[in-house]
Amino acid sequence: MSTTSQKHRDFVAEPMGDKPVTALSGIGEALGQKLEDQGFDKASVVLGQFLLLKKDSEMFTDWLKDASGANSRQAGSCAQCLKEWCDAFL
Amino acid sequence: MPFVEDPAQLSKTRLKSDLVAHNVELPPAASKKEVYVELHLKHIDHKNTADFSSDDEDPVQDVEKKQKESQDSEVPDPRRLTDDDLKAALLQHGVKAGPIVASTRALYEKKLRKLLQCDGHDGLNGAEHKAVLYSDSVDEEEKEADSEQEQQETAEEPEQIQQQSTELPPEPVKGILKDFIPDTKTTPTGIYATSRRPIKGAAQRPIQYAYPDTPVSPMTLERREVERHLVPIQIQILVFIALAFILYFIYVNVEDSSSVLALLDSFNQWSDSEEGVLPQVMTQDTQSVSGQD
Repeated sequence: MSTTSQKHRDFVAEPMGDKPVTALSGIGEALGQKLEDQGFDKASVVLGQFLLLKKDSEMFTDWLKDASGANSRQAGSCAQCLKEWCDAFL
Repeated sequence: MPFVEDPAQLSKTRLKSDLVAHNVELPPAASKKEVYVELHLKHIDHKNTADFSSDDEDPVQDVEKKQKESQDSEVPDPRRLTDDDLKAALLQHGVKAGPIVASTRALYEKKLRKLLQCDGHDGLNGAEHKAVLYSDSVDEEEKEADSEQEQQETAEEPEQIQQQSTELPPEPVKGILKDFIPDTKTTPTGIYATSRRPIKGAAQRPIQYAYPDTPVSPMTLERREVERHLVPIQIQILVFIALAFILYFIYVNVEDSSSVLALLDSFNQWSDSEEGVLPQVMTQDTQSVSGQD
């Protein structure tokens, strides 16, 4: 089960509250900046987009790649992180 | 007068849904109702009542048909569809879209374009695959009949094949198969479903990942793991102490007895008093040992 990173585990461990976008697994400084430029300044806003796409990992990864220039691994990691968070808290 | 409803009396949304149901290309978004009425009259009424073609309507129909053919054979540019039309078009291809908002619209347009391309290119393959798909849920006799029909009609558009194979509507079949066999690539629609994690064994799905029953945070999991080790850790500590005593006794046997007695006394004092005594005793002991050497 623990092929997840520490960042992933930290995020899924508790309600995200007001955490910034860079707290998401797979989202680093550069990607976080690009997302913030588009208005996704908090992790909760990205969660909103994930929920709008009906928690479909495939569509969300497509959107994230378009919106931030993430590669497949980063986008997949972020989608997985959000999915697990939803399973735990939503 | 015939049974045909007067399209002018239908609402615009009703006209739109009728057109979509009859696989008619929808006009650009926000067209006037008259355009929908015309299309409705032309295509739907034209199909229902073949005898009603009047001389006046024919040239108009031909002109409109030529205009339509100059565009895509399928539903035209997804970008020009309204949100509802886009949703309906996606539903036609078996995709249940979420809310089409500013941020999601581009994604759904791209998806529709992919579906349209795959429908156009894979028309032949799609027909064969549809035959294969049908075999999972239908008798083999029907499958052979369908495949024969489809092989004969592969020259025609796939839409007509869909209409003629009335036994099974394609959308629920694809949907069901995606649930049963999530790993297969359903080429007819071009949707590649990556196998996602099922939700904790809900709805009879096999639990591939053993989640704990309660949503336990990783921190408590790590704590539990540490606690599990505590019992062996105690044993390890005991073993260590036993080894220490064994080594001490070996040291006692090797060295002179006087220093050993001093050590014993010091240790006795240490066990009764505070730990501060020990450094003093240890320094005395080391001095005595160095003196002897």
